[in-house]
Amino acid sequence: MNTPAHRRSVITGIGVVAPNGTGAGAFWKQTQEGVSVLDRVSREGCENLPLRVAGEVRDFDPVTFIEERFLVQTDRFTHYAMAAADLALDDARLGRADYEGAPFKVGVVTAAGSGGGEFGQRELQRLWGEGSRFVGPYQSIAWFYAASTGQISIRGGFKGPCAVVASDEAGGLDALMHAARSIRRGTDAVVVGAAEAPLAPYSVVCQLGYEDLSLCDEPTRAYRPFTADACGFVPAEGGAMLVVEEETTARDRGARVRAELAGHAATFTGAARWEESRAGLARAIEGALREADCAPEEIDVVFADAMGVPSADRAEALAIADALGPHGRRVPVTAPKTGTGRAYCGAPVLDTAAAVLAMEHGLIPPTPNVFEVCHDLDVVTGRARPAELRTALVLSRGLMGSNAALVLRRPTDPPV
Amino acid sequence: MNAQLTYEELAALMKNGAGLTVDPTEMASRPGSAFDEYGLDSLGLLGIVAALENRYGRPLPVDADRCKTPGEFLELVNNTPVTGV
Repeated sequence: MNTPAHRRSVITGIGVVAPNGTGAGAFWKQTQEGVSVLDRVSREGCENLPLRVAGEVRDFDPVTFIEERFLVQTDRFTHYAMAAADLALDDARLGRADYEGAPFKVGVVTAAGSGGGEFGQRELQRLWGEGSRFVGPYQSIAWFYAASTGQISIRGGFKGPCAVVASDEAGGLDALMHAARSIRRGTDAVVVGAAEAPLAPYSVVCQLGYEDLSLCDEPTRAYRPFTADACGFVPAEGGAMLVVEEETTARDRGARVRAELAGHAATFTGAARWEESRAGLARAIEGALREADCAPEEIDVVFADAMGVPSADRAEALAIADALGPHGRRVPVTAPKTGTGRAYCGAPVLDTAAAVLAMEHGLIPPTPNVFEVCHDLDVVTGRARPAELRTALVLSRGLMGSNAALVLRRPTDPPV
Repeated sequence: MNAQLTYEELAALMKNGAGLTVDPTEMASRPGSAFDEYGLDSLGLLGIVAALENRYGRPLPVDADRCKTPGEFLELVNNTPVTGV
């Protein structure tokens, strides 16, 4: 019998809907090649706004994944999440037959930053253009940031613990640890992650208020964290969903164990206080290492938050040094999100997916568009770097002040 | 009132409002089958009621959004006398 302390959480499936590809295979190919897909904003209604460059999901046809009723009743951010959940379940080979007899053993957790802005804008335009009687009733659920969790749960028949984490961008990592807690308490599997769709006119206008948003109009120069040219971050849409399972249950059903969620911690240091995020992020890293029972020297790669704001980049570089000591200057650091943009809560889940794939391939993906690093960090630039990777550290911060760290470990073979 | 709601129109409303593809002939042949069976939830029915109220320019009976079957819904919508406004 597994006691709670022995119920370890492992990743068994990865589903990605990202600007650089749909599906973990396409995503990894572009990521490890360091391809940047940042481009001029082309979404209808956004073409003439001050935000010039973003990471748009273009290679995705929702009709191939989702039934029409869900397309009509939900926002784009939920389309991404539902498709990513399907891909993750397929990847994990976790089908209805596996849980039909025990639907309460499977839960759903998503993180969300903004909810269904595109759907909401359309209905609000009806409200002011035609009157309240013309607002469709699905507005009541489609805009809501809990929508993706609910729809994934309904569609898949998952009746286990369901939750939505609203803790800023770092909530993507917090959601993973929320899933691990559910598993410790007896849930066998959780479909967990985040996907966002912030590229619609209303949503873009909201983001224009962020002083850290990059308004640069050159795709190769708009998002260059850790360089002297850092001029803010580029937003993106999409994200990733994972299947996280209790290790023994996963092995018993013959699932491929991809990585262990070994440790996590989160802190809060206040909105737009990047200098203070140094202490907060360092504290989160230390907490994650402690939970994972992991020494700083064991970290083989860091997937950085990489905000792209000079003071934030400095704070992150110092936090890594504070928490990892001398190893912080030696450990390879990467930020593949410079090639896709930051998909808010989806960003750290995409980084988690990339970290798992990096460990499996023994290859650290590079940081596109970044060349001259001006901090005391070994940032992987140019091309992917081969390395034996057993343990990865994923970092995330949000514009509103949340900081989180996650330690991932490659699986060890089960005792014979 | 002279406009009578047909199964064809109801099917079109289910398509537009809730993204459901329903065969009107099938619905007509089994008027007592539940909206549930076609995937129409309470929000979907609420949207259909609002669309019809906008079309007719008058409110439907208060029970309209509580109907459980297409037959019950058409009966209620088509047999409610227009009252003076």
